[in-house]
Amino acid sequence: MLELRRIRKSYPTPQGLLPVLQGVDLRLAAGESLALMGESGSGKSTLLHLAAGLDTPDDGEVRLDDQPLSALDEPARARLRRERLGLVFQQYHLVPSLTAADNLRLQARLAGREDAAWSRELLERLGLAGMAGRYPEQLSGGQQQRLAIGRALAARPALLLADEPTGNLDENSADEVLALLLALVRDRGCALLMVTHSPRVAAPLDRCLRLRHGRIAEASL
Amino acid sequence: MNAASPRTAFLTLFSHYRRHPGQLAMLIVGLWVASALWSGVQAINASARDSYARAEALFSTGLDRIERRDGRPLTLDDYLSLRLAGAPVSPMVEGEIELAGGRRVEVLGVDPLTLPEISGFRTAGGTGSLRDFLQPPYRTRLAPDTLASLTAEDDALPSLADGRALPPLELAPELPPGLAVMDIAVALELLERDGLSHLLVAPDARVELPDSLVRSAAATPMAPGQLTDSFHLNLTAMGLLALVVGLLIVHTALSLTLEQRLGLMRTLRALGVSGRALVGLLLSELLLLGLLGAALGILSGAWLARWLLPDVAASLQALYGERVGIELALPWHYWLGGLAVTLGGLLTAGLGTLWRAARLDVLGLGHAQAWRAQFLRQLRSMTLAGGLLWLVALGLLVWLDRQPPAEGLTPGFVMIAAGLLGSALWLPPLLAMLLVGAGHLLRRHPLAQWALADLQLQLPRLSVAMMALLLALSANLGVGSMVGGFRLTFLEWLDQRLVADLYLRLPPAQYQAAVDWLESRDEIDTLLPRASAEATLLAKEGSQYQPRPASVYGVTPHPTLTESWPLLASQENAASAWRAFARGAAMINEQLALATGLAPGQRLRLSSPSGPLELPIAAVYPDYGNPRGEVMLTTTDLSARFQTSPDSIAIVLERELPPGAIETLRRDLIQALGIGGGSLIDQREIRRRSTDIFERTFAITRALNTLTLGVAGLALLSSLLAQSSQRRGQLAPLWALGVARGPLAGAGVVQLGSAALVTGLLAVPVGLALSWCLVAVINVAAFGWRLPLYVFPAQIAATLALALGVALLAAVLPAWRLWRTSPRILLTEFEAL
Repeated sequence: MLELRRIRKSYPTPQGLLPVLQGVDLRLAAGESLALMGESGSGKSTLLHLAAGLDTPDDGEVRLDDQPLSALDEPARARLRRERLGLVFQQYHLVPSLTAADNLRLQARLAGREDAAWSRELLERLGLAGMAGRYPEQLSGGQQQRLAIGRALAARPALLLADEPTGNLDENSADEVLALLLALVRDRGCALLMVTHSPRVAAPLDRCLRLRHGRIAEASL
Repeated sequence: MNAASPRTAFLTLFSHYRRHPGQLAMLIVGLWVASALWSGVQAINASARDSYARAEALFSTGLDRIERRDGRPLTLDDYLSLRLAGAPVSPMVEGEIELAGGRRVEVLGVDPLTLPEISGFRTAGGTGSLRDFLQPPYRTRLAPDTLASLTAEDDALPSLADGRALPPLELAPELPPGLAVMDIAVALELLERDGLSHLLVAPDARVELPDSLVRSAAATPMAPGQLTDSFHLNLTAMGLLALVVGLLIVHTALSLTLEQRLGLMRTLRALGVSGRALVGLLLSELLLLGLLGAALGILSGAWLARWLLPDVAASLQALYGERVGIELALPWHYWLGGLAVTLGGLLTAGLGTLWRAARLDVLGLGHAQAWRAQFLRQLRSMTLAGGLLWLVALGLLVWLDRQPPAEGLTPGFVMIAAGLLGSALWLPPLLAMLLVGAGHLLRRHPLAQWALADLQLQLPRLSVAMMALLLALSANLGVGSMVGGFRLTFLEWLDQRLVADLYLRLPPAQYQAAVDWLESRDEIDTLLPRASAEATLLAKEGSQYQPRPASVYGVTPHPTLTESWPLLASQENAASAWRAFARGAAMINEQLALATGLAPGQRLRLSSPSGPLELPIAAVYPDYGNPRGEVMLTTTDLSARFQTSPDSIAIVLERELPPGAIETLRRDLIQALGIGGGSLIDQREIRRRSTDIFERTFAITRALNTLTLGVAGLALLSSLLAQSSQRRGQLAPLWALGVARGPLAGAGVVQLGSAALVTGLLAVPVGLALSWCLVAVINVAAFGWRLPLYVFPAQIAATLALALGVALLAAVLPAWRLWRTSPRILLTEFEAL
């Protein structure tokens, strides 16, 4: 499904190049869930951005469904993101002027594969059925994150990339959102790569990798 | 706080602009352009008023004038016989001379020895010796700005076009611009005249006049300041519009900086800066920016005025015959006034910012603004305020309709301002409503749906720039339609009035000889003699008006003339009106009809050498550009009743003359009658001169209009640029969801283009309403005549194209920047969210 080979990535700083990823290898099979852990600045989010085609590595290769992302131009990578990937962000990034229902359907519509029944089911399962007409500012943090998960899943992605999806939530809400996310991912047979720094959040996933100083340090919790 | 604290807090607040220099630039540019256009107009007004004040000081001396009833020059015999009869009259001659290089200057010849004590002409604004003034080589007294304009090109002292020298120059700062005062003997010689223009007499002096002369009271002529008030009010209104448009930019920038500094201000409050101190700091920041913007604006305004003043001077000369100096004369209050208006405007625009800062909730730190509820409240207030302003405008319209003509200029402008502002306030609610509607219609098109929803988010900030665009577009269309309509009407009217090919002016003694000579020529089809005289329109019992001076104009009602001469109103139809006219009825111009309420079918009373005349009114005719009331009679009637003879002949030539025939006739006529070339004017020449005057008259209006539109475009551009970094942050998530940069940039252009198109569409009815107000209300109040309203589809299309053009121009730069933004930058924006 997703394969990262010998990925290297550095960022320019006033003091010179700062290496963030220094030869990372990672494989994720279809339907598998993987937690990526590490301290702040260990390169977790950079790795997620590379996997999503939001950024390009300095060296190494990212392959999605055996297709190298480096061979794609920007519009093709954008098409890949909207058709094959689902992204969940820590800050939700909902469109404030669209209702919950429209936010949920946004990516599916952009991908041209809106399924009204699936969208309704998602709203139902996410506990947002009675709030379809509300705007994001009228929802709680947990509800907004559930809506963001719904948006990512509404287009039936093959791979869900989640960056600290529960980082802004209290413990109860975080548990609730996580359980829902995993249930939906398993039901759909979708692969999941989740960045987190919480072992508690990483525990229910199939596998866990720890990044330290730009390298994979451990292969289990 | 200790002494260093306010400085630290101020620098902390101001540090925001280090990261957002675009917002600082937008604030200063807004203040700069608003202040520049306003100050420019005020500088023009101040300079013109200085010229009027000098003219009034010289001419408004309370002296009565004595003239010939037939409008001809007075002879020296007329003058001497009055002096011999003991009348304390003083002669005066007025005229224009052409200097080498084609420049023209007005010459006033006076006799200081016979002038009454109270006359300003006695010293003629100079301090030199009276003996020098009266004795050869005499003196030419003129104002320093007149001298500067005459010697500007080569620094040589001016001489006449034919090489004769002017008497030595003597500066007289109190004289109005464009005027040279000298002894009457030398003036008559320079002007090549032997007759006097008029005589002056103190109002309390008793003088027995023969029937051929008429005395007009000192109070009769209007002061130039009064006459030109409408013109300056018009300029002030345009300047005010530019000021409002500029301040809208400032308001947008201030709101943006406040919004982005809310967190910083809360932090400062939490760190111990009091609310009062915070408001004080913001006020200091506003003052600092205001002083900078005002200084730039006032200096640019003076430069702008210097650039526009020659056109304004030409307009005033064409419209009112008033000479205005083309050198700027800026009194001290110009500088202080400019500063006060800029700072006042800035404080008004920033009042909301200060209010919000004063009420800042420290505990609200980090709380997201409920923008929707706030914006909906704002939209409701705008709808309400817009409605109230429209009610004010409609109320004033009803009130103005009941007022006599030539009154209500200021209420007329207030009505226009209320209507324009009301419409501008209705724009954001209308846009919001359309966005919701379009969002429902396009719900199956995700990118369009997102673009509409996103535009809703941008609307609170964009709406102010859109309001500025609406004001500028409406003014552009309204004034453009008015000028275009005026142009069309004026040229059509000119064509209808100028039925003859040549116009010959000549002294009465040569009239018969000229007619005999012309009738012997084969090229001539018809001769239409014309005459003119001055009279007083007498009030009748029960009439609503006071006695007033009126010109009397004599024409020959030949079919060549009557078939094309336009009439505005007649009792039955044009043909019967002309038949009545030929039988002795009068026609009056629109100005006189509007000022007195006289109409076809009624009778008027006119003074004449043979006693008061009572004449039926056959029709009302348009008389554009004439500030005076006029009564028209047949040339035969006028000559008989005013004991005068024709003073000009309109010469209609045979059709299909061989090429060069007109030139041959011209040459022969000048030779046969021994007249100057200036006495014979070609119809094409009159048309060209009139069109030139027309174009120059509206040059200032067009220039200010274009500048205002430029300011509105700038408002839009700066508004977009100032929020472009914030916008990238909003676009980054969508890019992450799979929309490439190209479509995102394109969506931005389409968003703004659609909003501008709606604004342009709304500007069409608003602009047409403005045009109607200008031709039907302002024009009548300012000039005494009404223009027909013309709608120019091409102009409407141009307005829409202009709206789109301005918006696209403003949108293209941010869109191009977005399209060129590397994914790495977008990623940074994305991570920063």
